[in-house]
Amino acid sequence: MNHMRKVTLFLTLAMVTMLMVGGLCFGAEKYPTKPIQVIVPYSAGGSSDLLARTVEKIWTKYSTQPMLVIDKPGAGGVQGTEYVVRAKPDGYTVLFAYGSGCDLVMPHLQKMPYDPLKDLAPVARLSIHSVVVNVSGKSPIKSMKDLIEYANKGNRITAAVSTAAGAVDIVMRAIAKRANIPITTVPFAGGADAVTALAGGHLVIGGGHPSEVLPHIKAGRFRPIGVALDRRDGTLPNVPTLKEQGINVATWGSVKGVAVPLGTPPEIIAYLESTLKKVCEDKDFKKTMAQIGQPIDYLNTKDWAAFMPKASKDYGDMIKELGIKI
Amino acid sequence: MDIFAGLINGFSIALMGTNILFCFLGALIGTAIGVLPGLGPAATIALLLPLTYVIGSPVTAIIMMAGIYYGAMYGGSTTSILLNLPGEAASVVTCIDGYQMAKKGRAGAALGIAAIGSFIAGTVAVIGLTFFAPPLAEFALDFGPPEYFALTTLGLLLAVTLSGGSITKGLIILIVGLLLAMVGLDPISGKIRFTFGSIGLQGGFDFVTLAMGVFGLGEILYNLESTMKTELVTRKIGKIFPTLKDWADSKWAILRGSVIGFFIGIIPGGGSVISSLASYAIEKKYSKHPEEFGQGAIQGVAGPESANNAASSSSFIPLLTLGIPGNAAIAMIFAALMIQGITPGPFLVAEHPDLFWGVIASMYIGNAMLLVLNLPMVGLWVQMLRVPYGILAPVIVLFTTVGVYSVQNQVFDIYSMLFFAALGYGMRKLKFDPAPLPLAFVLGPMVERSLRQSLLISGGDLTIFVTRPISGTLIAIFVLLIVGQTTFFIKRKMRGKKTTAT
Repeated sequence: MNHMRKVTLFLTLAMVTMLMVGGLCFGAEKYPTKPIQVIVPYSAGGSSDLLARTVEKIWTKYSTQPMLVIDKPGAGGVQGTEYVVRAKPDGYTVLFAYGSGCDLVMPHLQKMPYDPLKDLAPVARLSIHSVVVNVSGKSPIKSMKDLIEYANKGNRITAAVSTAAGAVDIVMRAIAKRANIPITTVPFAGGADAVTALAGGHLVIGGGHPSEVLPHIKAGRFRPIGVALDRRDGTLPNVPTLKEQGINVATWGSVKGVAVPLGTPPEIIAYLESTLKKVCEDKDFKKTMAQIGQPIDYLNTKDWAAFMPKASKDYGDMIKELGIKI
Repeated sequence: MDIFAGLINGFSIALMGTNILFCFLGALIGTAIGVLPGLGPAATIALLLPLTYVIGSPVTAIIMMAGIYYGAMYGGSTTSILLNLPGEAASVVTCIDGYQMAKKGRAGAALGIAAIGSFIAGTVAVIGLTFFAPPLAEFALDFGPPEYFALTTLGLLLAVTLSGGSITKGLIILIVGLLLAMVGLDPISGKIRFTFGSIGLQGGFDFVTLAMGVFGLGEILYNLESTMKTELVTRKIGKIFPTLKDWADSKWAILRGSVIGFFIGIIPGGGSVISSLASYAIEKKYSKHPEEFGQGAIQGVAGPESANNAASSSSFIPLLTLGIPGNAAIAMIFAALMIQGITPGPFLVAEHPDLFWGVIASMYIGNAMLLVLNLPMVGLWVQMLRVPYGILAPVIVLFTTVGVYSVQNQVFDIYSMLFFAALGYGMRKLKFDPAPLPLAFVLGPMVERSLRQSLLISGGDLTIFVTRPISGTLIAIFVLLIVGQTTFFIKRKMRGKKTTAT
């Protein structure tokens, strides 16, 4: 048996080593000299994980060292983020998906074990995932105006949202407030579940990021009726914003950027920033990002550092106005 | 017919040298991780994702990933039977009779029938996938919150009754499982519950942590007290392969399990757990000797193992035809497809027929490979029981610890595992059957979430559960089971009284 165990262990080890080959050439003194650990604080297969893996695929074109994506899900992103906050600031532990709900929304609702704005050093922004409002393809509702009329006729409006007090939930509650219609938001166990429930026609409306809803829109199972950004989303150029339809709701959706532990040397941040910029301008990267429905929205270190407090304040104001509590 | 043309085309792709090689690699890696506790298919596929950029051809990459996924299901039964160590929720049911068989020196028969059953079930499910995928996909969408509530509640009922021990103890364990599942974030409001300010607890407990602690380590701690008993297990190994009688006993269980697993597996979410539970309950009902269940009945291994393998194949239906990933591992395959520029969904068959049919055809081949790979291994695995317990136990501890860490890369999970080990030890000491615990832990959150979602949708109206056809039927079955069981109890009590009176 011990023998078999060894064989199976050997197999797994062989796999891991295979992936790390190239990362083991020591000697060069300039950063990076070993693979860079990328922490995604969400589960494998989600939109943040997908983004990290798309970057990982292109990264090696521009860097001598590969990225190693590690998913550390838990507590809505807090556990993985905290791991990076407490990591050695040597540039080998990098946080992906910085700017998600646990950095921009959660601090306004609960006590955090760290300050997401002060305890991390921003590197660059990669993408913004807007919130798209959808109805079932079979629904008679074709625009926000139809939705308001539908509600005013006395119909109950149920909305599938990914999680309570998440980006989608906040948009739905804001629509209810600004359009003055009652909307019951029904939280699911993440974006994919919420999307599936709407696809089955179990609710009236639903929200999701383009990457989650695009396949269903293409299949005609969903009809997008509004985007909750202050401009149209690059992946859905034909869908009007909520503002265009007279409903004053715009949020940052889910922002996806990169950060490192506070105290990371500036030259390392500059290296990461410039490499990410090259990745964002890469032809193959652009193609893959379009395929997975994630628009590229690059910001350099300086602008990204200025963006985060602003986006956080916008969310804070909105949460206060809507009276959202958990 | 279109389907046949597609399938022939699929085989011509799947039978190409590289594809056969990667199909084999997938099946091999899958078996390996299925056997290693903790390391699951989702994490493995994530780890191997960069490899797919190098492979280039999406068909080849997906063939390998699919192989890892259903291969892991095959391998999962091994540790459940030999060591009472379920790697995932669906294997908990296999432990009940599988481990008892191993204790009686029939580990070989249990492993053999699990492999044969898995092969038959896998093949039945792929045939179903080939011919009925599109119409059945819509069935997956019919499951909204009320249907999930009815289904998972039924699952909870089965979880209590299956253990065969005292119903009261079963209910106590059920409640403990439900309570443990409540730690973390409230599924609807997002409020933090039972965390005592700990960030680690905020993420809730992980299933693998609980299963490894309660079953694996708990069993070891308990065995430390009685070295005699374990010696007995290790000395008697018996026949390595299932006998003709074993086959005769379990062939219907395998077929029923395959069909149940196929249909329940289509439903995204808890498919494989509920299918193995349902299969076990049905086999116990059909059996002429229901009292053998829990004591090492071969049908109790054959049915559920077939069911969860069929479910793993049919869970590809919502992915391939709707673009809906039903579980974490399938979500990784979804991600891999997206990165390759392929959108899974209704247009997949038309836009990428080579991929669709190539992957399906590879599943026929992969299943056959797994059988060939696993049957000879049975002999090797059984030899493992010859290893002195003093060596085996520390090795198990090492592997479970590494495995538990590998799931979420959190040290906190290792501490939780120790806590669960103590719990598992206590349960064994007090003669509680631990099987309902992990099942309640997995099903509980689904029951809670779907109940509250349904009531939000209906505006608090409880009739939502009985007015919809699918949930109404499931609720009716639930009520029938409760009524049947209760009258059975009352009758037995009455008879008991009469005999004591006379």
